[in-house]
Amino acid sequence: MGIINYAPKILDPIPGGKYVVNAIDYVVNWARANSIWPLTYGTSCCAIEMMSSSMARYDIARFGSEVFRSSPRQADLFILAGTITRRMAPAIQMLWEQIPGPKYVIAMGACTISGGPFIYDNYSVVRGAQNLIPVDVFVPGCPPRPEALFHGLLTLREKILKETCRHPWHEGKPKDVSTMDRYREAAKTWAALEEMKDEAMAEARAKFKEEHPDYKSAYKPVRVKKEDFPEVPRVPFKRFGLTQSELFAKLREKFPKVTVHTHSEDPIEDVVAAIPADRPLEVMVEPEDYLSIVEFVKSSPEFNMDYLIDVTAIDYDDHFDMVTMLRSLEHGHKLFLCVQMKKDFSIPEEKRATSLLASVKSISHLYPGAEVKEREVYDMFGINFEGHPDQRRIFLDKDFVGYPLRKDFTHPQMIRRPV
Amino acid sequence: MPTLPPGFRLQRETNTEEFFINMGPQHPSTHGALRLALRMDGETIVELVPHFGYIHRGMEKQAESMSYLQYIALSDRQDYLTAIQNNLGVVIALEKGMNVGVPEKGEYIRVMLQELGRIASHLVFFGCFGGDLGGQTCLLFGFKEREMIHDILEEVTGSRLTTNFFRPGGSRYDVPETFIPRVKAFLDHLEDSMRDYERFLSKNIIVLERSIGIGVLSKEDAIAYGCSGPVLRASGVNFDVRRVNPYSIYDQFDFDIPVFHNGDCYDRYKIRIAEIHESMKILRQCIDKFPKEGPWRSKEKPVRLPEGRYYSEIETAKGLYATYVVAATTGEKPYRIHTRGPSFPHIAALNKMAQGHKISDLVTIMATLDPVIPEIDR
Repeated sequence: MGIINYAPKILDPIPGGKYVVNAIDYVVNWARANSIWPLTYGTSCCAIEMMSSSMARYDIARFGSEVFRSSPRQADLFILAGTITRRMAPAIQMLWEQIPGPKYVIAMGACTISGGPFIYDNYSVVRGAQNLIPVDVFVPGCPPRPEALFHGLLTLREKILKETCRHPWHEGKPKDVSTMDRYREAAKTWAALEEMKDEAMAEARAKFKEEHPDYKSAYKPVRVKKEDFPEVPRVPFKRFGLTQSELFAKLREKFPKVTVHTHSEDPIEDVVAAIPADRPLEVMVEPEDYLSIVEFVKSSPEFNMDYLIDVTAIDYDDHFDMVTMLRSLEHGHKLFLCVQMKKDFSIPEEKRATSLLASVKSISHLYPGAEVKEREVYDMFGINFEGHPDQRRIFLDKDFVGYPLRKDFTHPQMIRRPV
Repeated sequence: MPTLPPGFRLQRETNTEEFFINMGPQHPSTHGALRLALRMDGETIVELVPHFGYIHRGMEKQAESMSYLQYIALSDRQDYLTAIQNNLGVVIALEKGMNVGVPEKGEYIRVMLQELGRIASHLVFFGCFGGDLGGQTCLLFGFKEREMIHDILEEVTGSRLTTNFFRPGGSRYDVPETFIPRVKAFLDHLEDSMRDYERFLSKNIIVLERSIGIGVLSKEDAIAYGCSGPVLRASGVNFDVRRVNPYSIYDQFDFDIPVFHNGDCYDRYKIRIAEIHESMKILRQCIDKFPKEGPWRSKEKPVRLPEGRYYSEIETAKGLYATYVVAATTGEKPYRIHTRGPSFPHIAALNKMAQGHKISDLVTIMATLDPVIPEIDR
């Protein structure tokens, strides 16, 4: 890049010119390899190790990379610290395109090499940064230690020192995001290679047995004796606020339809009394009662459930269980409301995966914090919240097909975990 | 009225021209891959909409095909600054299902590592808070002591950051003999350096001017949005799971829950400094009472949970970390695991705090919320 690439053309015809070209190469490479400025970019755990490496103990300044630039236009090096998701992928390509050349990329951590711990059953993680942009150095680890990052940096330095005017840095091209997943092909090739290796090993073993019929291994397995540990009982739980039976009785007085989930035929009061103290009371609520119960437990001074812990849902074959976790900051008791919603099977079967299958009233006007939580449930399960002020997808793109936390969810890029 | 981009809903009549700014997903002061859409009037924030999901890794979907023990390793990667505390949150839920207890020495190991993790997280906050305000030296200071904690963690767990250490009934390994002397030496060192750091930042005129009265979150709003941890306590609510629902052996120690009442950025900074001192208090008591003899874990059992739903909550450095495990059948695999991270409500309440402030104050507010984005998106 730049004028020095024309140096051989101009200087080579002159006698002794190639020595001048070599000298220019030496000076330029010395400057480039000793001041690789990285971009301040990090998505997850590796970013913390990248920060650690630039601090006093490890001191990345020894290698001339201490100037972390916040703008890609001032950076030379793109350290991909952390998992790359499909939603982040276009942003990464854009950042890479904005870095002026010559630019280098270090893929830090297992996630950017292959997807790391997020390979199986995953619909959102890009399996390897090389599917997006050209990568120069891979640093394995989860997360890699700062020393490992430095090793990557020194490897990159060696690579830079090999560049000359005659073989200058060459700009690669960002990959097309739509053809990203080459994992399956690689896995097939790998499996074939493994099979070949197994066959060769079996042959060698048979041959060895033929040649040495009375060979006996000198190896004896040594088993370390396991330490003997006692069984320890659990520490009893210290209860605050109302007991589960009191909570249930008070709730039932007002709403006679509430129950708890049970398989036994004992009276419901006994079932509630038998719940261990460390487990919060989880009552089953009819969908039409849900909003009025939440209003009641929030306003009633006996309950005073002013704190919303979380809203989440569970998908079963024919129904959703939506669990609203409430807590009283004043008294200390907790109440979980489980709304059982039958799935709407009137929708034709081929459309079920992409349509909202159940509907419930929103509680976001009572608890402002419920707004984002309900958006999450809508995004992950496809449950409609009536009266929600801003029902959009929260974690996934708006054109994402399907609702991932349903049990029958499929995604073309998802690989099932081998059992 | 012109149509607004998705998420914005404040209707107002203005004579000035409003404009929209995009902050993130790659921005040094959003602490990760978070995108904030800002509606600006001059340099004042009118409204703010956070866009999540740039680091949504589908952990909850993955958990459905994992065994319980494998999920402990995933919990490291949610809030990586307090990985050791997340481990405990998952493990307590499993222990409730398996009905196993922990011997005394095991509980002491747990509490000590919890508090070391809390100090490590707050030191990162100290560094980032100073760094975001323009004092890059703070970053160096915060990470200096943090590396010592990493050394201790590495000796005990074998890993610097993603520890994957606790197991139902105790932990993976016993602590080495050097553990207690090292913690003692570290505490002596930290006490001196904290004195220096507080003198360095707490009375600094730039910090005072840029944080007092900025990003005020009222008590009512903090409760309504479901904030927890230092953010809730800085708004005047005395809520700490270690005190209201003591897990492990936190009820045996003498420590205070610092509560501040203004709810601004300065209080959120002060409360974390005070919490470091409280953690040091707990650690000193642990060192005095640490049992030299005795088992460090209870008898190993296969991790199989009977049918039911199990819930646990702990107080991490960021706030209330709850795990909800659903076991549909008795077995080694969960039907569903849900995690409630503390940072999610904090970012949801960010609009309330940032409205009416200048854009540079948003950086201060973000720093004092101390969010970790992978834990929001999971």
